Amino acid sequence: MLELRAVRHRYEGRVVLDLEQFTLPRTGSVAVVGHNGSGKSTLLRLLALLETPTEGRIVFDGTAVPRRAPASLRRRVTLVEQRPILFRGTVRENLEYGLRLRDVGRAAVNGIIGDAVDRLGLAPLLDRRRHELSDGEVQRVAVARALALRTDVLLLDEPASSADRAAAGALYRALAAERAARPFAVCIASHQLEDAYRWADDIRALADGRLSPVTPENLFRVDLPPGDGVKHVPVGSIAIVVMTDRSGPAVLAVPPTDIFVSREPLPSSARNVLRGRVTGLAIEHRGAGVHVRADMGGVELIAAVTADAARDLALTPGGSVVFSFKASAVQVF
Amino acid sequence: MDFLAEGLRRAWTLLVAGDSEVYGIALLTLKVAVVATVISCGAGLPLGYFLATRAFWGRRAALTVVNTALAFPTVVVGLLLYGLLSRRGPLGGLGWLYTWQAIVIGDVLLALPIAAALSAAAVQGVDPRVRRTAETLGAGPWRTAWTVAREARFALAAVITAAFGQVVAEIGAAMIVGGNIRGQTRTLTTAVALYTAQGDFGLALALGLVLLLLALVVNIALQVLQGRGHA
Repeated sequence: MLELRAVRHRYEGRVVLDLEQFTLPRTGSVAVVGHNGSGKSTLLRLLALLETPTEGRIVFDGTAVPRRAPASLRRRVTLVEQRPILFRGTVRENLEYGLRLRDVGRAAVNGIIGDAVDRLGLAPLLDRRRHELSDGEVQRVAVARALALRTDVLLLDEPASSADRAAAGALYRALAAERAARPFAVCIASHQLEDAYRWADDIRALADGRLSPVTPENLFRVDLPPGDGVKHVPVGSIAIVVMTDRSGPAVLAVPPTDIFVSREPLPSSARNVLRGRVTGLAIEHRGAGVHVRADMGGVELIAAVTADAARDLALTPGGSVVFSFKASAVQVF
Repeated sequence: MDFLAEGLRRAWTLLVAGDSEVYGIALLTLKVAVVATVISCGAGLPLGYFLATRAFWGRRAALTVVNTALAFPTVVVGLLLYGLLSRRGPLGGLGWLYTWQAIVIGDVLLALPIAAALSAAAVQGVDPRVRRTAETLGAGPWRTAWTVAREARFALAAVITAAFGQVVAEIGAAMIVGGNIRGQTRTLTTAVALYTAQGDFGLALALGLVLLLLALVVNIALQVLQGRGHA
């Protein structure tokens, strides 16, 4: 639906985004993860049609977007920035802003705002002004202001960065409720991987403005068996030992830096000891680190080691390797 | 010191008595200042917004020109305008030389760079997220500009005050293209200069006080307008 094609975007001559293709499906929920400065916010500003790519083009519903996107097109997309800003006036006036631009009638405005306010628990804030709100409250109001517009595409840049856990939960629940009521495309940029794993159908990693071929973590969608404590969770042909009280659908993440790499199994406290073959080595961090990709009987895992360690272990593609990690290192989302 | 006290007494008498000459000059000055401020701000504020927000080839040069024009000597503007409006000049056909309209043009030429340069600075001082947010909520170019202007209202009010201050206190261009004709183009500043030269210190002082009063009233009015706004 919304697509970037062969986009190279520069700020003052420096390439900040370099994407061959980036597609946001019509009703998809995509999370873009990456560190600060990886290009996430720039990507969202391009998708929001607020900036024109230096090279390449943006395609919306099969049609190329002109250099200065008309307001009619921009009104189908909206972005909530990482540190959103509220305009002068009350929270209610802020929530009404975009609706008034769309000539929505008074009764309809009240109804739409009522829904957004209920979903995000903003009723007590309606008559407050921006200086009377906390950062987290500003963020919630900004999300409500965007949700109220019922756009085809909603872009959220770190939407829960100023929220506590409960507020973040409420925010994502509101988003899920809205999507259940009215399917639309959503793209969330986050460095909080938990957000991404929990809410997105598709996770894409950005590093230095490019889509990273390496998944940031080893992620597995699983169905956790009932019960407490240590569980053997089937993942493809292997089982991962996890310590959790949760049950049912979940996402397991094995941080690559928590994986201990060796040539032979070593006696240790690690409950997960997997033997496999190296399928690839990727140099990271300007040569100081190496991502070791290995096939563990049909399941691919990535471990991060120093370049020195990779050399000492004489790791080569096709060679045997053992990955070990503790059950407690496995994160459950 | 006596002549100063005498001057103040005379000024007070003229003001209290509602001297028609004093009030006639004050009204003309107010008319010229208001018209010139409205025109210069009406053109200068949008120009400042454009310079502050649009990336185009030569933008930096345009900003430099506008900033340089801030320091343009008023007599030079008067001189150039005189050349244009004089009978032999390209705009001589208008017959505007020695009319209040000529003073307005001179004032506009002087106040326009102030309005443009200071409003560009005011808009540049607004958080860039305001513009982006207005756009992403669906605002077109005009509504976006209005939203940004609302956020910069204090600075923009100061721009209007500065433009009015320039216009109301201007003498060089007013003298050259206005001609200081009694009852027609005599403004407060040109009158003060004339009566001081003629030795009528009391009248000059009275007019000077009216000028101060005018500036004070306009500033208070703008402050009241600013004060109405909340964050």
